[in-house]
Amino acid sequence: MNPSTAETVLEVSGLSFSYPNGRQALDGVRFSLRHGEILGIVGPSGAGKSTLLLHLNGLLPLRPEPTRASTNGAAVHVAGLSVGAANLAEVRRRVGFLFQDPDDQLFCPTVRDDVAFGPLNLGLPRAEVERRVVESLSAVGLEGFESRSTLQLSLGERKRVCLAGVIACQPLILALDEPFSNLDPRARRALVDVLRRFEGSQIIATHDLDVVVELCNRVLVLDEGAIRADGAPAVVLGDQALMERHGLEVPLRLQLLRNPPQ
Amino acid sequence: MNDPLARPRPIRSLCHRLPPIVALLLSVTVITVGMLLPPTHWPSHGALLCILLAALSLARVPFRVVAGRLAIFLAFALLFAVSVPLSQGFRGGWEIAQGILCRGTESFLSGLWLISVVPFDRLLATLRRLYVPAILLAILAFMYRFLFVLWDELDTMRAARRARTFDRAGLVFRWHNAAQMIGMLLIRSLGRSERVYGAMCARGWDGTLRTLDE
Repeated sequence: MNPSTAETVLEVSGLSFSYPNGRQALDGVRFSLRHGEILGIVGPSGAGKSTLLLHLNGLLPLRPEPTRASTNGAAVHVAGLSVGAANLAEVRRRVGFLFQDPDDQLFCPTVRDDVAFGPLNLGLPRAEVERRVVESLSAVGLEGFESRSTLQLSLGERKRVCLAGVIACQPLILALDEPFSNLDPRARRALVDVLRRFEGSQIIATHDLDVVVELCNRVLVLDEGAIRADGAPAVVLGDQALMERHGLEVPLRLQLLRNPPQ
Repeated sequence: MNDPLARPRPIRSLCHRLPPIVALLLSVTVITVGMLLPPTHWPSHGALLCILLAALSLARVPFRVVAGRLAIFLAFALLFAVSVPLSQGFRGGWEIAQGILCRGTESFLSGLWLISVVPFDRLLATLRRLYVPAILLAILAFMYRFLFVLWDELDTMRAARRARTFDRAGLVFRWHNAAQMIGMLLIRSLGRSERVYGAMCARGWDGTLRTLDE
């Protein structure tokens, strides 16, 4: 499969979801993603960013039965496949998910085992798995980390090992939940560089608006479960009234462009 | 700082240089010998305990660590051992109690020696080569991995609690606090396990454990 640049890889149409406690987390979210696009999702805490991401590969709703689900049937399509109980394996092969806390994702004793986990579940032959482990570790700048224990890595290294484990499955879309939180500037820079080199589509939920301006070519503002703005980062995030209305602020990078220091 | 989950430190002793399979077999042999010795034959149990302590000191496991862990183990083993004579109105069962204590202590020290000299992931790989069922190994691997994560979580909670407790003391207050913290840790662990399971599903987990070393 070699999608052309204009092909839609993800279609979200009228996605609503409420948690069992009754809180409406998503309310009629509608957008689509083209191949190669890097989409930032920004919004205040509790806006529904993580909930939205968890729907993209069927981790939510927990029980995809028509009677109990508060989601409209098949509101998410990945590369033409509807996200639902029948297609879960195929969908998860196409959408790579990076969790916010690397300790939720890293569970094998060594780096090599952990990166190999996804490809082994895809049923790939051993030689291919070994090749992908080496390749993805080098893609995230951690060559030679194969035999390191997952307990003895820094937070930035753990995040990048997690990313290697996701990249090793060669997904069409990367969904990243707060990838830059708690990272020091060097680790953050290293992660941005890795993401810039990735050749698929990306959806990045983050509070780091400066990275969105730098990395993304489109941004969605999500607040109270609904999309409030959709467009080029410099335009959307530069709109001071919009930003303040949704508990955000114009990123420093854009402020400086407008009012350069004397 | 006394961290009961002391992180593996690179120690090179004679014991650490043993191939993992040899260390595993030695450890199992000692446990088997302890099981086969008659429970009331004190000289042989004494000799076995001496051998175990010598092995632990040869592996440079600090005495403090051995004593601390043994104390926790003995607290449970004693309860368990005493329950046998207790059930017979203290008119018999002392022999079984002795057996539980001797054999338990020997097995515990032997296990302690083994995990001190073989890194955990190599121990798992060795067990896998010996055809130990994959599901047991997966449980062991998860336990070891998340013990550290949960311990860190508990540490953070304790520090946060201390920071706001000031100098209020009292046994009831402290027990109350500890009980709350244990409950909180349980709920956090459940949440964590839910997220870990989600992360595994996201990478195609279907209930079958696959590893590169098969």
